Amino acid sequence: MNATGPYLFSVYRHVDDLVAGIRALKGEGMSEFQVFSPVPHHDITAALGGKRSPVRVFTLVGGLLGLAIGWGITIGPLGNFSLHVGGKPLLSIPPFGVVAYICTILFGALATIVGLFANTRLPQWNLTPGYDERISSDHFGIQVRCAPEEFERLARLLKTTGAIDIRRILR
Amino acid sequence: MEYKLTYSDTDIDLMKTMRPAGRLYWALLTVLFLLVMAGGWAWWMQIQTGIGLAGKNSPVGWAMYITTFVYWVGIAHSGTLISAILFLVRVRWRAAVYRSAEAVTVFGLMTAGLFPFIHLGRVWVAHWILPVPNFDGLWPNFRSPLAWDVLAITTYMTVSSTFFLVGMLPDLAIVRDRVKGWRKKVYGFLAQGWQGTDTQWKHYTAAYVFLAALATPLVISVHSIVSWDFAMSIIPGWHSTIFAPYFVAGAIHSGLAMVVLLLIPLRRSFGIEKYITMHHLESLAKFIVFTALVVGFAYMVEFFAAWYGNEKYEKAIFLYRMVGEYAWAFWLLITTNVFVPLLLWSKKIRTSIPCLVVICISVEIGMWLERFVIIVTSLAHDYLPSAWGLYHPTLTDSMIVIGSFAWFFFLFMIFVKVLPAVSMWEVKEQLPPPLKERG
Repeated sequence: MNATGPYLFSVYRHVDDLVAGIRALKGEGMSEFQVFSPVPHHDITAALGGKRSPVRVFTLVGGLLGLAIGWGITIGPLGNFSLHVGGKPLLSIPPFGVVAYICTILFGALATIVGLFANTRLPQWNLTPGYDERISSDHFGIQVRCAPEEFERLARLLKTTGAIDIRRILR
Repeated sequence: MEYKLTYSDTDIDLMKTMRPAGRLYWALLTVLFLLVMAGGWAWWMQIQTGIGLAGKNSPVGWAMYITTFVYWVGIAHSGTLISAILFLVRVRWRAAVYRSAEAVTVFGLMTAGLFPFIHLGRVWVAHWILPVPNFDGLWPNFRSPLAWDVLAITTYMTVSSTFFLVGMLPDLAIVRDRVKGWRKKVYGFLAQGWQGTDTQWKHYTAAYVFLAALATPLVISVHSIVSWDFAMSIIPGWHSTIFAPYFVAGAIHSGLAMVVLLLIPLRRSFGIEKYITMHHLESLAKFIVFTALVVGFAYMVEFFAAWYGNEKYEKAIFLYRMVGEYAWAFWLLITTNVFVPLLLWSKKIRTSIPCLVVICISVEIGMWLERFVIIVTSLAHDYLPSAWGLYHPTLTDSMIVIGSFAWFFFLFMIFVKVLPAVSMWEVKEQLPPPLKERG
């Protein structure tokens, strides 16, 4: 979402009201809004729609990179360390496969974290202006970007859907 | 498992664990700290004087330290089982107990990780095992299970710590929004700016599933690899294909018992019995019955394979375990690991807190002894009678092992006070959402 305002921040007590608010905004053709909730909820996800998270791509790429690194660190240095140990061949596929397997998981997990932080834009040292601390507990919220002349109309619209608190955020 | 609570009840109740500690807490923490210091002093003496202070010798070169290392890695397995595997199969009751189980994993690994260093003797050259090109031109022998073990344990530590911390982000935001002053800044930093936006939840839930999916094969492979430290050798009693599943089952057995042992005082001390209910403890107890049966079956198969294989050294070592110098440990482990937990078939026993505590302690003793018997008897009594020898614990290695238990419980007690010990957001997910139609 664009970092310029003004914004309207509405707070809800009930999830069904919040879903009604999302549908009302979508009905108005608005798409630039952000929904806040204490837990993920399938009704909210369904109302918002949207694409699947690309985090899975990070996981896949990280896993494949790990697999390559695993084989790389075991096979790569064979030229410099050509010492037979325990009667095993220099290129020992099963034991090197164990290393590749572990590296796949390690890099897959690390890439998932990178994907999570990159896509959620975390860390964020400044919370969203207007963020309501009740949201992490038991309330819900919608932050919507609107032109100054649209504020009153949208506020009335969201009020009808059950918003208990509506604020104008200027930034 | 249905809770009759609201979202805000959850925050109020579950943040009780983070309130300022009472005298009993500080007294216990002090005792644990002193025991850790005693263990640390024993290790320091061993570094100063030499590894001879420990009871390990030739032929029993792996003794108390590797026994305890394997024990703690095993303890670490319950966390990932509960947090990742039960998450993937959508077991609802995991929500209230998985955070503590994950803490058991992380602190179990932090304890286990000390033992290879303690066992090394020359701890100052420990970095030689790392795959880092260095001055001496050393490179790990990746055909050795010991090199796999280093990779597996460090990967498990990294992935489980990550899973633990990432799983906590929404809860840290709850704490941030409830506290004031410097604590707000600290928890604000830890929460990394989490606000529960739709974008954050979308990527978070996706990442959580992938982390769980990656942690699941990892938990199976880590203890399999630890078992291969033994099974890849040709020592009688170790060289067995059954070791990997047998070790994994044993690890989960001891890990679950440890989780129960920690949850019982946790729920009682902080009055959160309505979150961590008897249903949770009973479900874990049923799991322990299952793992006891698997472990018992593995013991029988091991003996059967030794008899049926008709390999004389293999038969000799299993006979030695039953009647030799360490037979007391063998029979004690069979009793405490297999027969005692089977008492949990009885609903009356598995819903009795004192019985659960006694049975879980029994499992812990049994699982430690199992590793002791596997390691010590096989080394004490291998191929050449002229090379046979016994292991006797010393004050130094005993103090270090006791110190490791103190270190684990010390870390857990600090965790309970500074971080949310029960996942608030996942417990909320189990509650009916606040709906207007419901009022």
